[in-house]
Amino acid sequence: MDDVALDSQPIWLTLQLATVTVSLLLIISLPIAWWLAHTKSKFKVPIEAITALPLVLPPTVLGFYLLVFMGGNGPLGQLWMSMTGHPLSFSFAGLIVASCVYSLPFVVQPLQAAFESLDRHAIEAAWTLGASRSKTFFTVIVPQARRGLLTAIVLGFAHTIGEFGVVLMVGGNIPGETQVVSIAIYEHVETLDYGAAHALSAGLIVFSFIVLFFVYGVNRRWHYGLQT
Amino acid sequence: MKQLTLDVKLNRKSFDLDVTFNIPEQGITALLGPSGSGKSTILRILAGLERPQYGRIINGKDVWFDSRKRISVPPQKRKVGVVFQDYALFAHLTGAQNIAYGISGHAVKEKVNHWLERLHIQEYRNRYPHQLSGGQRQRVALARAMVTEPELLLLDEPFSALDVNLRQHLRDELKSVIDETRCPVIMVTHDLNDARSLADRVAVLVNGRVHCYDDTREVFADPKSFEAAKILGWQNFLPIREFIGYCVKGTWGEVELPAEGRPDAEWVAIRSEHIRFATPTQSNSLHALVDSITDLGAVRLIKCMLPDSTPIYMQYAWDKPVPTPGSEVRLAFPLQYLRLLGRSPINWNSVKSQTVSSATGT
Repeated sequence: MDDVALDSQPIWLTLQLATVTVSLLLIISLPIAWWLAHTKSKFKVPIEAITALPLVLPPTVLGFYLLVFMGGNGPLGQLWMSMTGHPLSFSFAGLIVASCVYSLPFVVQPLQAAFESLDRHAIEAAWTLGASRSKTFFTVIVPQARRGLLTAIVLGFAHTIGEFGVVLMVGGNIPGETQVVSIAIYEHVETLDYGAAHALSAGLIVFSFIVLFFVYGVNRRWHYGLQT
Repeated sequence: MKQLTLDVKLNRKSFDLDVTFNIPEQGITALLGPSGSGKSTILRILAGLERPQYGRIINGKDVWFDSRKRISVPPQKRKVGVVFQDYALFAHLTGAQNIAYGISGHAVKEKVNHWLERLHIQEYRNRYPHQLSGGQRQRVALARAMVTEPELLLLDEPFSALDVNLRQHLRDELKSVIDETRCPVIMVTHDLNDARSLADRVAVLVNGRVHCYDDTREVFADPKSFEAAKILGWQNFLPIREFIGYCVKGTWGEVELPAEGRPDAEWVAIRSEHIRFATPTQSNSLHALVDSITDLGAVRLIKCMLPDSTPIYMQYAWDKPVPTPGSEVRLAFPLQYLRLLGRSPINWNSVKSQTVSSATGT
């Protein structure tokens, strides 16, 4: 019983982390992706490159600079300290900040692709039919971009669940605070507790498979309902 | 009478639009021109989807746009129906849902059903756009615009994506819907048949400028410029070398004109359907060689060469015997169909009055 209680903690922590991260990322990424999809600004390319950086950087590099930035002497770390009285690094909050940076391209890029392929005329048709900007967003843009939206959510979620290097650098290994599934598995292996490592690893595989299966199924169905 | 006044300027890197015209708020106005002439941009400006840099748009008493007063009414508030060239249907909604998109209130179902029946698309009401043919999509798009009872209907190349048989059918249907609803229409097209068969008046656009704007018949009979004439299907242009009174000369020979020459005229033009074979002694006729004959169905197009190799096209009834290529013929250029054209628009009315005044003056 003790083992089970011990192991469910990283699972819940991971799910919490992924949920909060994806929610925040959607709020951040929607305007960024919209801007990237439609701007003709000369800043488009540099901004695009910056949002894609987490894709190519080794997680340790990203984690290192995030740690410097969020640590006791880092600007964000000091700001957080003065606001909450707690350090940002090696905390759940710090993990969320790091995850948002780490998973940003996985949410921005599918959204940007979806926004770029929107039927511009359909949006304009909605306006001429009297639809406000917000009505147009929810009744034309979201339905048209739903596959991109779903892909962004799933990739962001899955990528956050799978992160290891950045978490280790920024969050460490504090049970109940920063010990996510991937870290827990690593620790089980280190302590030669292969049974527990198996349970978590197999669980993660099954979970990931079910999610992807569901997503591809839905995408396929939506695909047939749409003009392409 | 209520009218729409459009007086706008729009400058872009590669494009410069400067148009002024009044459109009576009834009947069908066609904007005719090649791609890039600015006709679709005018439609977008009227719909409020594009903002000109300077000018005004006034619809009856409503100011839609005024650059000085910083007024720009958004598309949502203009009550303008738009049928886009690609129809722009909502791909995730059925035909009936598409039609219902712009209306609310208690009678939505009745209104949607009315238009489904009116345009004979009841059986497609539950189909998605990708399950509809081009003609069916166009009807859904038209119904979606008309159900909102717009004050002005804008059509962007309404028949360009349809095959020939369907085209005529939908033209008739559109005409009857418009006659019935009395909704004024501005239609963009590059199809001469669309303009001729549907429009009450035509504006010809060349490089962002209106070269002629008048009743359809008048515009086709009297293009004001060389470019406009080409757009309106004129094929015969004789370059002018000099005028001698009412006579015009070129390397191709000489013909008599209905009016005195003007210095800004560079071509004498005539439509291919106005050229005839001439008797040897007929006045205003030129010697030519038959070059080739193209069968166009109802007519044959005979290409002849004047002595200086200027091509002349003439239409000839399909059931009449035609001379063989290589044979020598005389072509008549009936005086009343000859037009003088320059690069920039010539106002034919002022040509006439100028001719009168100069004739009385000298």
